[in-house]
Amino acid sequence: MALIETTDLWKSYQMGAETIHALRGVSIQIGKGEYVAIMGPSGSGKSTLMNLIGCLDTPSKGDYFLNGKLVSGMNDDELAAIRNREIGFVFQTFNLLPRATALHNVELPLIYNGTPAKERTEKARIALTKVQLEDRMLHKPNELSGGQRQRVAIARALVNNPSIILADEPTGNLDSKTSEDIMSLFDHLYSQGNTIITVTHERDIANHAHRVLSILDGQIASDQAGARKAALTH
Amino acid sequence: MITGSLFKIALDALRANKLRSGLTLLGVIIGVTSVMTIVSALQGMQDAIKEDLSQFGPSTFLVARIGMAMSEQEFLDKIKRKPITLKSAALIEKGCDLCYKVSTRANTDARVKYKDKSLRNVMISGVTADAFEVVEVQLAQGRFHTADEDRMRRPVAFISDKLRENLFEGVDPLGKEITIDGRKYTVIGVEKKAGPFGDNQERGYAYIPMSTYITQFGEPSRIMLAVKAVSVEALQDAMDQTRMILRAQRHVPFDKPDDFDILTADRILDVINAFTRILRFALIGISSISLVVGGIVVMNIMMVSVTERTREIGIRKSLGARQKHILLQFLFESLTVTLVGGILGIVLGFLAAKTLMLKIDMNIAPSLAAISLGLAISGGVGLFFGIYPAMKAARMEPVKALSYE
Repeated sequence: MALIETTDLWKSYQMGAETIHALRGVSIQIGKGEYVAIMGPSGSGKSTLMNLIGCLDTPSKGDYFLNGKLVSGMNDDELAAIRNREIGFVFQTFNLLPRATALHNVELPLIYNGTPAKERTEKARIALTKVQLEDRMLHKPNELSGGQRQRVAIARALVNNPSIILADEPTGNLDSKTSEDIMSLFDHLYSQGNTIITVTHERDIANHAHRVLSILDGQIASDQAGARKAALTH
Repeated sequence: MITGSLFKIALDALRANKLRSGLTLLGVIIGVTSVMTIVSALQGMQDAIKEDLSQFGPSTFLVARIGMAMSEQEFLDKIKRKPITLKSAALIEKGCDLCYKVSTRANTDARVKYKDKSLRNVMISGVTADAFEVVEVQLAQGRFHTADEDRMRRPVAFISDKLRENLFEGVDPLGKEITIDGRKYTVIGVEKKAGPFGDNQERGYAYIPMSTYITQFGEPSRIMLAVKAVSVEALQDAMDQTRMILRAQRHVPFDKPDDFDILTADRILDVINAFTRILRFALIGISSISLVVGGIVVMNIMMVSVTERTREIGIRKSLGARQKHILLQFLFESLTVTLVGGILGIVLGFLAAKTLMLKIDMNIAPSLAAISLGLAISGGVGLFFGIYPAMKAARMEPVKALSYE
């Protein structure tokens, strides 16, 4: 069974008298260990799809199975538990808590599943070491560079061993050199068997994935093998 | 486990916003302080009254023409009553077998002199020697007069602390001679300093033997009676016997109510309590307004805090925080502020009450009831005014919260 399976997902918003359909019947399947890029121009619905896949939002219509569980009918708290266990987010704006140290930021997901303090710190240290930030653990976000902040966010995404790493424009706020570093980190994580989904509008970033889903006007326009996969088959 | 972590998060947030937390704290401190001042002061007052009344033992009752009047009309009615006389006392002493001691007291005003010091209109009470057994008068020095001295009409006086202060500044009064309306008396004892409600005579007062009193001032037209029953259990029956004797002596028709009052310390306390209860509700009600204002400050600042930290809430939710986690985090913040403010308010309120009470010579002690009340109030304010902002935070939708600028 696929890790992610959606059938006919719709998401509609009421804007005054008008109903806007951000997603119009999206059906996709993503398997374990895949590296998928969701591409599309702004307003195409890719962020909405990412929010649904990430269980941050619920669809207006349609089913979403994650790891065989129907999550589209879950309530707020059940979704929170799914986010905590199954999904690691990496955001464009990093979304770190500004007053907390890197270590504490990485510990956050563990706090909400009741991991004991000692084990929590230990796991957060290991995650930060994986992203080569072992010597920056007690720095606050404003004492770190953009690339380092994004690596803290990646460590936070990894710390709970989630089923999916979900990255929303992960390099949108970074310069090209740092972007390369971050993308090779994702490549490395993929090679270790993690399932990665990135949402982007940049072809360069999408090229790191082995599968590219293009989305336009709330529908899947194409589902192709990525540049990496194409290069491998040729 | 999670609760502890959430509590720590709340503390960190409070520490990060010191000025804001301080201002919130101030609102709560002012509110709790004002309530605690009033509660402590009232409690102190009530304790003092209780202590003053404790000189009437549990088996003692008073008989008076007018014991207590709760309204002007009642007073005007009672003032027409016939006085209680020494004859009444003699009848009770003879007829009431459950009465252990019957003591009488007659009052008059006189001029008291010691050397060149002279005071006018000092209350002079003629009392039987029993009086000191029936009503517990506290000795500071010397002794009371004896039954023998009463029988022999000895000119001896037992003076109150106020009178000692007025006449014998820096002099040992024992054995000194004073004159009461020109007649010489020897001071044999001094009463212990009374509570604020005990010695309400500005110039003080003096006790002399009843027989000596009669010799100098004549047979008193009216007296007060204090009766001690043989036991606490017999108190009610002793009071009934006394009533029957007095009704017969005063020719009260059987269908008419008593034309005299019988009072016990408990009854007096009941009346005073009823009065202070009204006072307490009124004063606490007024001072609670500042507490409500303090609560609104808490709510206001928590609302601002929640709005300002919308993004933080979004981040926490995206990482798996449930509604109750966010709710508790913000509730812990408001509770911590109000409880810390409450503790400070309790201390300040108590000190304020103590300072106030010292001015009228009254001491107050911190009571467990007042402290728990203060803590309960401040915790209640934190919960009541903190729950709405916390619920608002807990119910935020993660997507909207994350995209909040």
